[in-house]
Amino acid sequence: MEEETNGAGGPLLRLTGVRRRYGGVQALRGVDFEVRAGEVHALVGENGAGKSTLIKIISGAEAADAGTVEMAGRVLPGGSTAAAFEAGIATVYQEPQLFGELPVAENIFLGRELRRRGLVDRAAQRRRAVELLRRLGLDPGLADVRVADLPVAQRQLVSIAKAFAHEAKVLILDEPSAILTDREIEVLFDVLRSVRSHGVGVIYISHRLDELTVISDRVTVMRDGTRVATRPTAELTIREIARLMVGHAPAGAAQRRAVPDGPPVLEAAGLSRRGAFRDVSLQVRAGEVVALFGLVGSGTGAIARALYGIDPPDSGTLHVAGREVRPRTPADAVAAGLAMLPGDRKVQGVFASKSIGFNISVGHLPVLSRARVWVDRARERAVASQFIDRIRIKAPGPATPVGTLSGGNQQKVVLARQLVRRPPVLVLEEPTQGVDVGAKDEIHDLVLGLADEGSAVLVVSSDLPEAIRLADRVLVVRGGRIVAEFPHGAAQADVLAAAAGDAGDQTPDQGADQGADQGADQGADQGSDDRGEER
Amino acid sequence: MTALARPWTRRPAAGAIEGQEAVLIGVIALLWTALGLSVDTFFTASNLQNILATVAPVTIVGVGMTAVIVTAGIDVSVGSTMAVVMVIVAQQLRDGGLAFAPAVGLALLVGGVLGLINGALVGYGRVHPIIITFGTLNLYRFVALQIFGGREVAGVPGTLGPLGGGAEGRTFGLPHSWLLAVALAALMWAYMRHVPTGRHLYAIGGDAEAARLAGVRVTRRLLTVYAVTGLLAGLAACCMIGGGGLVAQSAGTGMELQVIAAVVIGGTSIQGGRGTVLGTVLGALLVGTVTSAVTLLSWPNELTSLFIGVFILVAVGSDLLRERRRRSL
Repeated sequence: MEEETNGAGGPLLRLTGVRRRYGGVQALRGVDFEVRAGEVHALVGENGAGKSTLIKIISGAEAADAGTVEMAGRVLPGGSTAAAFEAGIATVYQEPQLFGELPVAENIFLGRELRRRGLVDRAAQRRRAVELLRRLGLDPGLADVRVADLPVAQRQLVSIAKAFAHEAKVLILDEPSAILTDREIEVLFDVLRSVRSHGVGVIYISHRLDELTVISDRVTVMRDGTRVATRPTAELTIREIARLMVGHAPAGAAQRRAVPDGPPVLEAAGLSRRGAFRDVSLQVRAGEVVALFGLVGSGTGAIARALYGIDPPDSGTLHVAGREVRPRTPADAVAAGLAMLPGDRKVQGVFASKSIGFNISVGHLPVLSRARVWVDRARERAVASQFIDRIRIKAPGPATPVGTLSGGNQQKVVLARQLVRRPPVLVLEEPTQGVDVGAKDEIHDLVLGLADEGSAVLVVSSDLPEAIRLADRVLVVRGGRIVAEFPHGAAQADVLAAAAGDAGDQTPDQGADQGADQGADQGADQGSDDRGEER
Repeated sequence: MTALARPWTRRPAAGAIEGQEAVLIGVIALLWTALGLSVDTFFTASNLQNILATVAPVTIVGVGMTAVIVTAGIDVSVGSTMAVVMVIVAQQLRDGGLAFAPAVGLALLVGGVLGLINGALVGYGRVHPIIITFGTLNLYRFVALQIFGGREVAGVPGTLGPLGGGAEGRTFGLPHSWLLAVALAALMWAYMRHVPTGRHLYAIGGDAEAARLAGVRVTRRLLTVYAVTGLLAGLAACCMIGGGGLVAQSAGTGMELQVIAAVVIGGTSIQGGRGTVLGTVLGALLVGTVTSAVTLLSWPNELTSLFIGVFILVAVGSDLLRERRRRSL
């Protein structure tokens, strides 16, 4: 069916030579991109490839440094959401852009109210909202409900309804499926097929490559701010797309380290949490680095939070050094010998206005204090200085406020906090997110060094090269379960394909171990032909 | 296609009177009944007129403050704004022999300009409004004191009497100032409920960046609500000058706290995104009633502070509970 629609019409939206720089990072390096009327055009790429920036420029949320955006032959002024909207571009952002205190009907029309004699025509808005909700397979009664009272997945659908409310010609969906259930995704796809048949061009961003083969007509792959390919989806396999995404970059795996034999220090068995992950079992030995790799929304973050007692699991067991533990709070986890580097540093990690010394010692105050009540400032400074040297934090001294450091150095400070008392188990979530390349290598060396000194390290990452480089074993998580395991030195494309849903119909609904075996098999000898039945 | 449909029974959000307002009406009715039964002087014309006239300036400024707080902002400079307006207008009334209309016009102009300055600083400054208006609170107070020149303004003629609390400020026994407050509240209520740009205030308070992406002109709206609040502070200042006499250097002091108390007790969320002007009118009325009751019962004055403090905490507490309930969904 794709071929006919592709033939119809010239490009509806055309980008030419679009560039965008953020500080020192060139996010887009001259991208050409076009969307035809009546196609679903998938946009894929690894984190940081430039997809989000491209979307922001098309939707007018940001202006390009160079290059043009044309709608139906007319160049749009940059950086104007209003102009993009007038031209018929509607965007559904990853984070639902909704207003909790307003009812759904008003949210749908906010900024573009239906009016009668200058006043908001609530009755008309309500009627149209009910119509739209029906079309999206949602309960029309939701029209009067405040958005704050809706579950998150339904909010996402409401924001999609909002995009449909205004007869858009180009519809941008940024990871719409990340928080939707399979059934909700089916409904979404039905709707997309219907708008496609009405000549709307859809830009569909997703990490889940298995979805793309179902819904998209063409796929554009981005890497490092450039467009590396645009092809009809039918011509590509998931593995080929994955290969285009990671490129032919050297695998960059660190030297294989000798992992001492021994019993697992961290052992999870059958951990489940409703709506987040199911039947997760994993083991990490002393001195071993295990990576938990998954795409955004796969559930890796939830697993990490469960281990650390932030969102405890509903069932399953957890052993640290042979002792069963049930962390219900982070303090429990720390007491059990777990240390964690949380994923969202801004929220959970650093006290920006405080000194490096404070940031390192917080959480270890009993160790650093005399008689457990009085913090020994001199000792705090001494410990901080020691770490500044040891992990090469680039800062004038321990009194420097952390907020003034670069992202990579902030990260090292948070890492240092976990090292004051060497924990037997270290859980690192996205340890190099938002960190520049040089600092990244240093952090990686640090992590490997910790393992060499005997810590059991679990790295939770959506950064594929990182997972492969650091890990002695890579566990791939998809849809809340561990679906594959790869040994050190696996090919990036294989791991990505497993995470993105290649052979997605074969591995699920079995134990983690069995899934892992199958995943490893795929990694070894998988051809491009075994996804036929998905199409 | 009903795969996603879930039964959803919840109170529709768009009722004309919201929960907190109904509760306030109940509390006020209860109070008035109790006071009427226990104090013979409560249901006298002069006492009720006195309550309404006292409540009027707070309500007038509260109309603007509600809009400001709904955008997740706040304006703590209104008391100082009123002081500037009062000293300028009082001097002009006395020394320039200003007539009624020009005096009100002057008040609106001065108040509006000061409000616009707040709006510009908030809209373009991207600094939290409490910091900005705390700055202008001190700044405007300084300006007012400079104009006072170390002396109160005495002997102000009664030109603005029709807005004051005296006999000439009433029609059919109701103070003009309170009627004006109610009319302005009705206008603002209609604006925030039925006019697109008025609805946008709730969006800004909910999530300013999302509002921007939805095409709301955030800066322009902020500029407007602070300017309107300044304008209304100017008008409230006219009511305070009222029948003339004396304008002291302490004019307007603490007004911001009374106004914010009325808005918060009226159910407007200090975090923005929710609130109504009707709630503010009722909140001001409740505060006025309690103040009056404490006096009539010859209770010690400090009890007023106790009651207002409790009301604020109860209002904020119920707001928090609502939030929690939602989180747990």
